[in-house]
Amino acid sequence: MPVYEYRGQSINISENDSEYLGYFEAAREHRLVVKKCLDCGLLRGEPGPGCPWCTSLGWEWHEVSGKGTIYSYQIVAHTVVPAFRDWAPFPIVLVELDEQSGQPNPGDGLRLTANLLDGNMEPENEENVAIGRRVEVVYMDGEDGFTLPQFKLSNEPPRDQVWRYQT
Amino acid sequence: MAGKLSGKYCIVGIGETEYSRGSGRTTRAMGAEAIRNAMNDAGLKPEDVDGMMSYHGGDSTPSTAIQYDLGLRPNFYMDCSGGGSSTEALVGLAVGAIEGGMCDTVAIFRSMNGYSQIRIGGTGVRAASGITGPELFRRPYGLISAVQTFAFTFTRHMMEYGVTSEQLAHIKVAHSNHASNNPKALMKQRVTVEDVMNSRWIIRPCAHLLDCCLETDNATCIIVTSAERAKDLKQKPIFILGVQGRGTKPGGDFHYQHGPISRVAGHYVGPRVFDVAGVKHDDVDVTGCYDAFTYTTLLQFEDYGWCEKGEGKDYVTSGIINLGGKRPNNTSGGHLCEGYTHGMNMVIENVRQLRGTIDDYCPDWKEGKHTYDYSEGKCRQVKDAEISMNMGWGTPAVGSAMIMRR
Repeated sequence: MPVYEYRGQSINISENDSEYLGYFEAAREHRLVVKKCLDCGLLRGEPGPGCPWCTSLGWEWHEVSGKGTIYSYQIVAHTVVPAFRDWAPFPIVLVELDEQSGQPNPGDGLRLTANLLDGNMEPENEENVAIGRRVEVVYMDGEDGFTLPQFKLSNEPPRDQVWRYQT
Repeated sequence: MAGKLSGKYCIVGIGETEYSRGSGRTTRAMGAEAIRNAMNDAGLKPEDVDGMMSYHGGDSTPSTAIQYDLGLRPNFYMDCSGGGSSTEALVGLAVGAIEGGMCDTVAIFRSMNGYSQIRIGGTGVRAASGITGPELFRRPYGLISAVQTFAFTFTRHMMEYGVTSEQLAHIKVAHSNHASNNPKALMKQRVTVEDVMNSRWIIRPCAHLLDCCLETDNATCIIVTSAERAKDLKQKPIFILGVQGRGTKPGGDFHYQHGPISRVAGHYVGPRVFDVAGVKHDDVDVTGCYDAFTYTTLLQFEDYGWCEKGEGKDYVTSGIINLGGKRPNNTSGGHLCEGYTHGMNMVIENVRQLRGTIDDYCPDWKEGKHTYDYSEGKCRQVKDAEISMNMGWGTPAVGSAMIMRR
C-alpha cells in the first residue's frame, strides 16, 4: 500500500508490514479482522507476529463481527494535532469486541482504539459517550483508497451498567 | 532480605541546569553543564569519571559528544532509548557496570529541550511525523500525546473506584505548595483545588491543564560510585539500597489487551524493590512518585502498596503527601511544578533530602540548617529524612523504583 493522507497526517503502511498491512487491506473491503493463532486458536487484538498465550508464530486473519462495548474513553478537549482542531472536542474510545471477551483470562479482551462517530461520520456528542454502551464498526473511506475502521453507537441495549463521568 | 549489593554503592554527585522554557542552547551544552555541576558537587575531576550513561527519545546528545566537552574518557558508556522510569533503572545498571569491573564511577544524564524543541506532549515535530507501525492503531484517531496514551487507564480507574477531579487536584495543590519553597521551580505559585478545576480541560474526564506537568528545557545528572570510593569525596554518600525496573505489565505496549487496565506496573515492581532493599513501607520518610499527570501519582501510590487499591484518592487528600505530613511526596514540586525531566529531578531531590541540604529559602541551607517552617517561601527540608523511595513511571505498563538511605 502506498502513502496515504488522512486529516493532514501522512499514513505509511509498507509492503512488508506483516502486522498492519492485512488489517487495512481488509478494512478497505469493509471487513474487520484480527489475528488468530493457528495452534491454540486464540484471537489477539494487537496483530503481532506471535501468540501471547502459546508463543506460536503461525497465524491467519480472522474476520470478527465488529460489535462490541465501550471499555474506556477520553474526550479530547485540546488536541496537539492541527488537523483535528475542527473536531475538538471529540471522543476516542477503547472498544472491547464481543469475541473472546474475558478470555483466556478474566480482564482480557480484544480491544481497539477508534473515534466514536455519529450517523454523519462526525464525532459523537459527548453526552452519549459512556463505558458500557454498545457499538458497532463503521468504515471511513478516504478518497485515496485508505479506509479507517471507526465505531458508532448501536441500537442494542447495554448488557451491563453504563457509566460516564459527570464533569 | 536485602540484595547482595544493597548499600554497597551510592550517589555522590548531583547536577542540574536551570529549569526553563527557552534554554536558548543545545542539549549538548545543557548536558555538559549538568554533568560538570554534578562532578563539582562530588569533587570529581575528569579523570575520575570513567562511565557515562544517558537516556533519550531522539531528543538529546550522545555521551560521546559530551565526553569531549568535559575531557572525559569513558571505559564504559551507554546511551539508551527511554523516558520516565529510566533514571532509577540506569542507577541500577551503573551499579552493575561498576560491580562487573567495567568502570569505577558513572555519570548518568538526561538532557532535553522539552519545551523549545521536541515536546513530549506531541506538539510540533512529533505531530508532523508520518504514521507507521503500531502508531497506525492510535494516531489516525488523534491519539498522540502522553496523557492520551494513558487516559483509558485513568478513565477506567475513575469508574472502578469513584475518583473525582477534585481529589486529583489535591496532588497538584500539594506539589505546588512544595514548589513555592523551591527557588529553582518553574511554577512556584501555590494553587488551590479550584484553580485546578477551573483550568481548561485537556482530556475529559481525567486531566485539566493543571493536572499536567510542565514541558521544560533542562539537563540533569547523577553520579554513582562504590561506597569505598565515596569515602574520599566531598558529599555525604547516599546509599542505594535497592533498584527494580524498568519492569512491565503483561502486554507491554499493548497492555490494554489485558486487564485490569486500572492496574499499573508498580504492582509488579513494588514487592521486588522492597525485598531487594530490605525495608518496609513504614521505614520510608519521603517519596518521589512520578507526576507526569496527577493521575500517575495516585495510581502508583495504590499499586506500590501505600494504601489499598482504590484508596489512592484518600491517600492523596489525607495530608500524608504534604510537607509536614507523614511522608511528603515530590518535595521539589516534581514534574507538575519544578519541571519535567523524565524523572531525574525527583531522584536528585531525594538525594538532597537525605543529605539534609535541600536548596530552599532557608538562609543557611548549604550548612544543612533548616527552619522546618513549610509556609510559602520558606523551608522544604523533611526533618531527619533517612530513607527515600522513588517510583518512576514510563507508561501504565512500565515502571521502576529505587530506595535510598543516608
